[in-house]
Amino acid sequence: MALLNITWRELYDNLNSLRFALATVLLLALMLTNAVVHLREHPVRMQKYRDAATQSVNTLTSRTDLYDLAQKGPGRLYKKPSPLRFCADGGDSLLPTLTDAASYFWSTNTSKSFWRMTYPSATPNLKNIDPDATQIDWAFVIGYVLSLIALLFTFDAVSGEREQGTLRLMLANPIPRHTVLIGKFLGAFISVNIPFVIAVLMNLLVISTSNAVHLGVDEWGRLGIIVGIALLYLCLFLALGLLVSACVKQSAVSLVILLLIWVSFVIFMPNTLASIASRFSPARSYDAFQEDRRQKRRAVLEAYYTQREKTEDPSKRMLIQSEYVTEDAMQDGRLRQAYLSERIAQVSQAQTITRISPVAIIQHLLEVFAGTGLERHLQFVDNVQLYDREYREFIADTERADPESPHIIGIRDGMSKKKVSPEAIPIFEDTLSLSKDFNAAAMDMLLLTLFVVVLLAGAYLAFVRVEV
Amino acid sequence: MLKTLIRRELLDNLMTFRFAAVLLITLLLVVANTVVLIQDYEQRLESYNDSVKRHQQDLDNSKTYSTAYLFIDRSPNPLSIFNVGLDKRLGNYIGIYHGFMPTLWDARMHGTDNPFIAFFSSIDIVFVFEVILSLMGLIFAYDAIAGERERGTLRLVLAQPIGRGQILLAKYISAMACLLVPLILSLLFALLLLTRSIPLSTADFLRIAGIVLTSFAYLSLFYLIGLLISVATRRTGTALMLAMFVWGFLILVYPNLIRATVNPGGDIQARVKIAHNQIQQILDEYERERQKFLENEGIAGETSEFSEALGFYHQADVNPVTLTTYIESISVLSEIRPDFEKYVPVAKRYYNFIGPLTTRTVEKAWRIRKQALDEIYVKQAATDRILLKLSPVGIYDAATQAWAGTDLSGLRDFFSAAQRYRKVKIDYFYAKNAFASREWFVADKGAVDWSTLPTFTFQRSDVGTNANRALPDMFLLLICNLVLFMVIILIFIKSEV
Repeated sequence: MALLNITWRELYDNLNSLRFALATVLLLALMLTNAVVHLREHPVRMQKYRDAATQSVNTLTSRTDLYDLAQKGPGRLYKKPSPLRFCADGGDSLLPTLTDAASYFWSTNTSKSFWRMTYPSATPNLKNIDPDATQIDWAFVIGYVLSLIALLFTFDAVSGEREQGTLRLMLANPIPRHTVLIGKFLGAFISVNIPFVIAVLMNLLVISTSNAVHLGVDEWGRLGIIVGIALLYLCLFLALGLLVSACVKQSAVSLVILLLIWVSFVIFMPNTLASIASRFSPARSYDAFQEDRRQKRRAVLEAYYTQREKTEDPSKRMLIQSEYVTEDAMQDGRLRQAYLSERIAQVSQAQTITRISPVAIIQHLLEVFAGTGLERHLQFVDNVQLYDREYREFIADTERADPESPHIIGIRDGMSKKKVSPEAIPIFEDTLSLSKDFNAAAMDMLLLTLFVVVLLAGAYLAFVRVEV
Repeated sequence: MLKTLIRRELLDNLMTFRFAAVLLITLLLVVANTVVLIQDYEQRLESYNDSVKRHQQDLDNSKTYSTAYLFIDRSPNPLSIFNVGLDKRLGNYIGIYHGFMPTLWDARMHGTDNPFIAFFSSIDIVFVFEVILSLMGLIFAYDAIAGERERGTLRLVLAQPIGRGQILLAKYISAMACLLVPLILSLLFALLLLTRSIPLSTADFLRIAGIVLTSFAYLSLFYLIGLLISVATRRTGTALMLAMFVWGFLILVYPNLIRATVNPGGDIQARVKIAHNQIQQILDEYERERQKFLENEGIAGETSEFSEALGFYHQADVNPVTLTTYIESISVLSEIRPDFEKYVPVAKRYYNFIGPLTTRTVEKAWRIRKQALDEIYVKQAATDRILLKLSPVGIYDAATQAWAGTDLSGLRDFFSAAQRYRKVKIDYFYAKNAFASREWFVADKGAVDWSTLPTFTFQRSDVGTNANRALPDMFLLLICNLVLFMVIILIFIKSEV
C-alpha cells in the first residue's frame, strides 16, 4: 500500500514538471520525423530491390542449357531490405546489398571459367559532400535521447528530497527503505514511459496506416521485443540515476556526475573503443589477399598443365580439364569466403569490445531484431552460402538424371544436353530467422540484464546506507 | 569592486566538484582521442606514401605519351585531427590526362582496406569540444543567477553600490576564466602528443590558434545561453532542466533532425539528363570534326588498315549518371610493322590534330558539367549547412573546418591544383611537340623520358585564406554572443530580486 502511495506521489510530481512536458515534445518530434523519413525512403529501397531481384531471377530462368546454368551460376543475389529499418539503421548504407556469382575470369576455345561467389564491398559514396549526420532511428532515440531523459528524471530522486528535507519526513513513517526506493523507481519508470510509449505508438500508427510499408505478424513480434529491450535499457539508466543520486548529497553534483558518465559512455566510448580495437587484429590488406589468391590459383593451373602433359588420351584430357575448371572455381570461392570472414571478424571483434558501453549493446540488439546491420548481413551471407550449395546440388542432380550424358561437369560436351525447365531451377530467397536472431542477441540481452541488476543492487545498497 | 566580485566568483567556481570533474573528463577524452587520431593519421600517411610510390612507378613504366598513367595523390591533412571534415570522405587520388578533367567528383580512394570499418564513425577533437564545452558552459551557468536568487545572496550583493551589468560581467569573466582551464590544458596535452609524432608548421600553429579562438567563442556562447536561462527562471531546478533540454536539442537532436527532414529537392534526374544531352552534343561535334579529318586524309573507318596499323583504340563518352566525360584516343602497340611504316606521318598528323581537339572538348564539357553538379549537389550541401547553422554546433563546425582546411573549399583547392597540373602537363606536351611525335603512339624508337615533367606539388592554402573562409562564421558566433549578452542584461535589469 505504501509502495503504491509513493509511486503515485512520484508520478504526480513528475507529471506536473517541466521535464515531463519537454520530454514529451522531444520524443514525439523525433519519432514522427523517424516515421515520415521511413515512409519516404522505404518504398524507394523496396522498389529498387524488387526490380533488381526480378531481373536477376529472369536472367536465371531464361537459361535452359545445363552447361550455361552450371557455368554462369545463379547471377546476382540481393539482400532484402528490412521493413523495420526505422528501428535501427545499422549503417546499412555502408554494407553491400548483393553478392555476385561471377564467371568472367577466363575463357579458352574449349572451356570457360565456372562461377564462384564474390562478395563486393559497398563502394563508399565519394561524392557525398553533405555534412555528417546520424540517422534518426529508434536506436538513436532510445540509445541517446531516452537515456538522457531517464537520467534527468532520476538525478534528484534521493538527493533532491534530502536537500528539501522531505526524505527525513518520509522515512519517519513506518515504511521500509527498499519500498521507498522501489516506489521511486516505479514512479520514474512510469513517468518516462508515458511520453515514450505515446511517441512509439504515434510512430507505429503513422507507419502502419500507410500503404507504403507492410508489417506482418513477424515484424510486430519483433517490434514487441524491441520495445521490451528499450524498457530494459531504460531501467538501466534509471537505476544508474538512483544510484548516483543516493550516493551524493547535492543534486547538482549528482547531475554533473551523471552527465559526465553519460557523455563518456554513450557518446564517446563506442567510437573511440572501436577505433582502438579495430587495430588489434587487422584483416589482410586487399592487395595481400589478391597476391595470395593469384599464387594459389597459379598453383592449381600449373598442376593442371603438368597433368595434361602426361596424358594423350583425349577423353582423359577432357576429364582433367573438367577437374581443373571445378577446382579453380571452388578454390577461388573458398578463398573469397575466407577473406570475407577475416574482414568481418575484425569488425565483430571491435564491436564486442565496445559492449562496455550500454549504447553499443542496445544498438546491436536493435539491429539484430530490426534485421539490419552487420548481424543481418552475416545472415544474408549464410543464406547465400546455403543457396550456393543447393544450386550446385541441383546442377549435379540434373546432370545425374540424364543417362545419355557423359557426366563430365565443367565442359560443354561433357554435360547433359537436355533442356532444363525454368520451374526446376532453385530461386534464392533471403529469409530471416527469429531463432537465429535470438542466438545472436543472447549475450547482449544477458549483459544488459546484468548491468541493470548490478546497478539496481548498487542503488539499493547505497540507499539503505544513506544518512538522512 | 568589480575585482572583488570576480575574485569571489572565481574562487566559488574553482573550488567546486564540477570544475574538477569537468577538467578530468575533458583531459581524458581529448588525450584518448588524440592518441587514436594520431595513429589513424599515420596510417593514412603511410597509405599515401605507398600510393605515391606506386603511381610514380606506373608513370615510369609508361612508354608512350598517349598511354601515360599519371596519377596524383592527396596527402592527408594533419589538421584533420582537429576537424576531419571531408578529408577522409572524398577521394584521394585522381588521374591527370588531357582527355579528362580532374574534379572532386571523379577522385578515387586508396587505403580503405576493410570497408566494414567505415561502420564506426570517427571522432575528432572538435567533436569532443562540441559536446563537452557546451555541456560545461551550461553546467557552470545555470545556477549563476537563479542560485543566488534562491539563496538570497543576490539581494545582498545588489544592496551594494554595484551596477547590475557589472555583476553579470564579473560572473561572465570569472566563469570563462575557469572554463578556459580545461580547454587550454587539454589542447596543450593534445599538442604535446601531436608535435611528438607529426611535424607542424608555423602556419599550422596559427590555424590551431584560430580553432582555439573559435572554440572560445563557442564556449562563451553556451555559457551565455545558460546565463540567459538562469536569469529568466526563478528556480535552479527549472533552470537546470531547461538548460539540459536545450543542450540535448541543440547538440544531439537538431543537427540530425534537420538532415533527416531536408528532402533532396528538385528533380535531379531531369537536371542530369539536360546536362547529359548538352555534353553529348559537344561530343558529337568532336566526333564530326574527327571524322572530317579522317576523311580528308582518306583514312576513315575504324576497321581500316590505318586503324589496324596503329592498334587503334578510341573512346569518347559521357556517363549518364555522373556526367564524367572521358575521351581517349590511343594506340596499344609495341612496334610498327615495316609495311605500315607509311602510316606514321598520317598518324602524327592525326594525333597532332586530335590532341588539342580533345583538350578543348573536355574543357567545354566540364563547364556544363560543373554547372549541373553545382546546382544539384553543392547547392544542396550549402543549404544543409546553412540550416545547420541555426544551432551553434553548425557554426562552430563550419568555422573550425575552414581553419583546418578540411571544408569543401579546402578540398576544392586540391582539385583546382590538379586542374592546373593538367594544364602544366598539356603545356609540357606542346613544348615537347609530343602530340606530333612518334613517341606519342609507339615506343619502338625509345621510350618517353618522364624525368623532365614537372612534378605535382600541392600547397595548402595559406593561413590568410583559411582565416578569410572562417571569418564569417566566427563573426556570426561573436554576434550571437553580443546579442545574447545584451538580452541577458536587459532581462536582468528588469527582473525583480
